[in-house]
Amino acid sequence: MTAHTQIQYEKESVFIHINVSDAKDKDAHIPGRVFLMNKPEGVYLEWKAEEVISLDGAQSDQDWTMVRSVAYRNDRDSDAVSSMNAKMDSRRKYNISFDILDLKSFKRSAPNHGWAYIIFILKDGTTFPALHFHNGGSKALLKEFEKYVHIRRSPNDSRLFIVIEHDPEMLSKSFDELQLFSDSSGDLVSKFIKDPYTATMGGFSKVTNFLRNVLILEDNPTTRPQEEVADILQEDIPGMEISQQESGFEMITKTKLPPRPTVTRGDALLPGQWALHLDSEGKIKNKEDLLERIFRGGIEPSIRIEVWKYLLCYYTWDSNHKTRQEQRKRNVDDYFRMKLQWKTISAAQEKRFATLRERKGLIDKDVTRTDRTQKFYQGENNQNLLVLNDILMTYCMYNFDLGYVQGMSDLLSPVLVVMENEVDAFWCFAGLMERLCGNFEMDQNGMKVQLAQIHKLMLVYDPELCHYLESHDSGNFYFCFRWILIMFKREFHFHEIQRLWEVMWTDKPCKNFHLIISLAILDSEKSTLMENNFGFTEILKHINDISLSIPLEDTLKKAEGIFLQLKKYKKLPNDIKEILGLDVSPNNSSSSSAHPTPTGTPVNRENSPRLELPLHISNGMNNSGSGTAATTPDDSSIEILTDTVDSAINNYYH
Amino acid sequence: MAGKSKLLKVVLLGDGGVGKSSLMNRFVSNKFDAQSFHTIGVEFLNKDVEVDSEAYTMQIWDTAGQERFKSLRTPFYRGADCCLLTYAVDDLQSFKNLAMWKKEFLFYADIQDGNSFPFVVLGNKIDVENRLVPEEEAKAWCAANGGSPYFETSAKDSTNVDRAFKSAVQRLRELEDRMDIKPAHGNTVDLQKKSKSNPGCCG
Repeated sequence: MTAHTQIQYEKESVFIHINVSDAKDKDAHIPGRVFLMNKPEGVYLEWKAEEVISLDGAQSDQDWTMVRSVAYRNDRDSDAVSSMNAKMDSRRKYNISFDILDLKSFKRSAPNHGWAYIIFILKDGTTFPALHFHNGGSKALLKEFEKYVHIRRSPNDSRLFIVIEHDPEMLSKSFDELQLFSDSSGDLVSKFIKDPYTATMGGFSKVTNFLRNVLILEDNPTTRPQEEVADILQEDIPGMEISQQESGFEMITKTKLPPRPTVTRGDALLPGQWALHLDSEGKIKNKEDLLERIFRGGIEPSIRIEVWKYLLCYYTWDSNHKTRQEQRKRNVDDYFRMKLQWKTISAAQEKRFATLRERKGLIDKDVTRTDRTQKFYQGENNQNLLVLNDILMTYCMYNFDLGYVQGMSDLLSPVLVVMENEVDAFWCFAGLMERLCGNFEMDQNGMKVQLAQIHKLMLVYDPELCHYLESHDSGNFYFCFRWILIMFKREFHFHEIQRLWEVMWTDKPCKNFHLIISLAILDSEKSTLMENNFGFTEILKHINDISLSIPLEDTLKKAEGIFLQLKKYKKLPNDIKEILGLDVSPNNSSSSSAHPTPTGTPVNRENSPRLELPLHISNGMNNSGSGTAATTPDDSSIEILTDTVDSAINNYYH
Repeated sequence: MAGKSKLLKVVLLGDGGVGKSSLMNRFVSNKFDAQSFHTIGVEFLNKDVEVDSEAYTMQIWDTAGQERFKSLRTPFYRGADCCLLTYAVDDLQSFKNLAMWKKEFLFYADIQDGNSFPFVVLGNKIDVENRLVPEEEAKAWCAANGGSPYFETSAKDSTNVDRAFKSAVQRLRELEDRMDIKPAHGNTVDLQKKSKSNPGCCG
């Protein structure tokens, strides 16, 4: 290996941040080196964690320093202390290595960011954690890259760069072998060029996007036939339809939402402020004010133990010192009564009780696989795992119909960390489950409904992205499944999830705000998904991979902004208002069915009967629709996209 | 992924906690994380392999094992080229459930002849001490189930993991030779039906 490997580029002090906002923790930034090297099998980009060498064996956990790693030598540190090895193992799992031929695009940090970072994205959707160049060197690396690939900057996202072509000579691969242009796209392109109406289509701004997608198409030889997956999901998951037109054309409506207002976030609720909210009897003085505050800035960690009990309906908002004391006593009694119920089941009983046995087994397996990297749950024989187990078992008794479903341990874990008490954690978890039990129903209907609601919201908020997802077998929004099931638990760092959850538990600014948060995250990924022309599998992979790298506060700001845009939008369809819990006023009945279809407009929706499209057509096609936008900001214009270009043009002009 | 390689869709099935994700991670990136989470939803990883001097990209799908998520798991079975049935040697129930997993897979993958489909059976966690499923019993089950190849694996110490995954490709080649069908997607009728329903721009 060593003999034939040539290092083209090397840079030390390139870090992976595994816990962005906790910079005090040394483990949060893993130091490493980036290499670009010529191997016999190709040109590879690699990042390797630095070896850990202790200054003082006993303090290895606290006090380590980094030394230059010798990248191509066998690890000779086998006699090093075992904790060190474990630490190194946990670091090595972040090591990165990929063939530059597999690179699809990358994202750079914003220019005003303190130091540069790069996020690499591969053709199959794999998205690596950001590499932070603390001592510079990112530009030099990209310069090296240019020897091998041609890069284009995204017109829609200045941070995104797309690899448009791998230099065939450098890599001694033929153009054909790279399959940059598949046969089908070639056909479409030539069809397009021959078509006399192409020029007319150019007038519609979206067509450029469409053309670009067609031109920079399918350079991934490993993509599965896309129809396969689409078909599968459409047929087998009822209520998760994908809009697929049989023939002819597709319609994209462009919703002209009011501009997104700037949203500011506030500071966390502090202990002193919390105390001021209680009167002499311990009653909350102004619930609304308090909720608004929590929504805007969250809660200071030290008082979560109190405030979460209100948010999770452990205490009522009109309770006082005395009633709370009584409530707590009842809760303790109730909890241990239920715990005793399963604790006292004998072995002989259990032998004849398959359901309980099964649940016990599942819980047992899952608690050992929940948040084990958190200090609270670390180590063998950690007592807190036992508490997790007992609470989940007791919940099975409390809600026997629902039982235990995977995902519940994820929801309980942060609650127990905050409560540090079995009884309190149980009742707070029970309160949380009141919000989320629909996600865990046997028929999974709650999940299907929410994924369909994201679809509806996206159709209004961003028809272009919505159409893209639909036409890439992702109109079912299946890739959001984990987000919704456990309220983004796996997508954010542990301390962030506590912040996000308390914000969401205020039920502000609207019902189902978590769906808008989903829109906000997808909005941030739009350019990456569309300009890389990701299909079903790549989208799924990319979305899975961005977990733990989504900026929380920015996402919350964007989500609130999107909500305000939708709320202000005069023609917001009634079904969307219902999802968000907004007033459905009778004099503003802009439900999708109420919209007339202008004559002459090629609306052909027969093939997607179950998808309710809010077609906001204001002035019709031939009118100066967009010209009126300045005076009536809520107006919409309509644009046409075609899947089969010929027929759409023909339909429209003949 | 680079260059020309055949894409094979591999589905990894078995009870929760038998080590599906760990096997996948060991095979694809040669890593084992004792602190890893249980899978929620569906995940997949790609791995380039060379079997009998032919290049393949194995796209390995890993799903949540609980019954509750069946309706969101089974759609991914269709179009699979091979299936790895997994149990843990210290979990008797997970072994008993192999038949259930096989049945579920064949039904939702819409495969008529189960015996000509490449299944490979994996008995994982052979590193543990309290083994409950005897090797002979597992081999007997495989023999009675179309003679599927059987491997005893440990994702933790990486025993047999590579061999087990690659044998799935070998098994596929073997059965293809025997059936004399075209590689990967033999069901042409199905594909035609599908392409008709979605003429999409990328066809």
